[in-house]
Amino acid sequence: MVIAMVITFVFLVAPIIVAIMMSFDGRSYLGRFPPPSYSIQWYTNFFSDTYYLAGLRTSLVIAVITTLVSTAAGVSAAIVIDRYEFPGKQALETLFLSPLVVPAVVIGFALLLFFALIGVFQGYPRLLAGHIIITLPYTVRTTLAGLVGIRKSLTEAAMVLGANERQAFWDVTFPLARTGIVAGAVFAFAFSMDDVAVSLFLTSPDTYTLPVAMVSMMRTNFDLTIAAAAVVLMVFTVGLIFLLEWLIGLERLIGGGVFRS
Amino acid sequence: MTKLNRNAALLLVPGLGIFLAFLVLPLANVVEESFRYFEPGRVGAAKDAPYTLLNYTELFDKAYLYYFLTTVRFGVMSSLIALVLAFPIAYYIARQPSQLIRKCAIGFLIGMMFLSTLVRVYALQLSFGPTGIAKHLAGFLDVSMNGRFYTEMIVVFGLLHYLVPISAITLLGTIQNVNPRLSEAAQALGAPRWVSHLTVTIPLSVPGLLSAFLICFTLCLSAFVVPMILGKGKVLFVSNLIYARFSEIANYPSGSAVSVMMLILSLLIVYGVTSFVTARWIKN
Repeated sequence: MVIAMVITFVFLVAPIIVAIMMSFDGRSYLGRFPPPSYSIQWYTNFFSDTYYLAGLRTSLVIAVITTLVSTAAGVSAAIVIDRYEFPGKQALETLFLSPLVVPAVVIGFALLLFFALIGVFQGYPRLLAGHIIITLPYTVRTTLAGLVGIRKSLTEAAMVLGANERQAFWDVTFPLARTGIVAGAVFAFAFSMDDVAVSLFLTSPDTYTLPVAMVSMMRTNFDLTIAAAAVVLMVFTVGLIFLLEWLIGLERLIGGGVFRS
Repeated sequence: MTKLNRNAALLLVPGLGIFLAFLVLPLANVVEESFRYFEPGRVGAAKDAPYTLLNYTELFDKAYLYYFLTTVRFGVMSSLIALVLAFPIAYYIARQPSQLIRKCAIGFLIGMMFLSTLVRVYALQLSFGPTGIAKHLAGFLDVSMNGRFYTEMIVVFGLLHYLVPISAITLLGTIQNVNPRLSEAAQALGAPRWVSHLTVTIPLSVPGLLSAFLICFTLCLSAFVVPMILGKGKVLFVSNLIYARFSEIANYPSGSAVSVMMLILSLLIVYGVTSFVTARWIKN
């Protein structure tokens, strides 16, 4: 049992370590692991290469906008689903979670065809649309999970004491739902930075995200600058984890289950 | 639960609008495109091309079924292996008394989940490819480094690297809600530990196992980057077929038809597996 766990852990972590070590490789070519000498040449390569930097900038801008839009739309939808009853609610919930079931390739392909049909050819709107639609299920789902745990009597008490609906939401419900909302926003940012399959369809020659730039480099010039780019992305991921821990605590994200004291 | 009033309904508009514009309409367009006739040499179907079922009937050729079979085969295999590997991890974290270890373990799993697919695939390529341990591993298993078996194994590794953290997190939620007293009672009555888990913990976790399996399987079905880069052209999933149809041959109608078939297939499988497991194991 323990051996299986250790092997799994090693299997998950070892490739990452290899990639990190190779990104500091001192050789000027891609040679066998382990590297005989170390240098930061690949990082200087990466940060002086306009191709990669443009991709990084686009990735960041799109991730920020996607997170804002996705969280706003997702939270509003989750509030309505949680509090109100209406015909077709079940279908609506399924609809909001459906992008998770549709393959990313199909989403990218469908959006590309659709935008060509309505005449939108710029990269930014298309990329934004793709990223928003794939992150929306996460914001809706985590917010809903957070809202479900809030007792309705608290909001009702606020309203009995004189608050109107909007005040009751911002002063009572929102702080309690913070966990779910923040989790959704962080998920949205992470999955927007990482996305490859959808972005591959929606980029244009002058607008591309960092993962897409890495894919084209993997096909043309397979050198270790890609490793440096990969480590930069990893740093973002680790940063997001620490952010999650600082904002809401990783414990609360998963919950303790009903049998933990 | 109160009934919906007009002001609250306004809150639904952004979400619904986004879905309509960015999912429903594009998918409807894809379905429509899949019925159009394609002339080779054009990009996509002509605006007034006639409707036809050709794009669908040609999919029943053996060559195409190969893609679907490969995808399902890898999906089932990788999902099952992921469940087997993830269950002990989830169990360990769920029953772990130390808060610090729990926090670190959960942080590690979420970090693994957030990690970009591309970073994973590249790291695996570096580790298990020619610059890594490929020679040694392939020699140890007595297969060719560039052979089919090794490539398939690396694709499974790539899928597992993504599936195991996600399954572990899903199963964590389930196992936490299984009363630990029950398996302890079984052990107090004389059962060895592995029997108590086999007969108590695991059957009680079946809904979570099912959910984790379906999540893994759906992710495998839509896997694109992993087979594209780690498969080196030898292992091709349905997503790669769609991509090739679209970007290399510009046969949009056929790409659309394959997409529709794939969607229907995954919905059928999810529905089928859910009904089967619910009927057999989750009885009231």
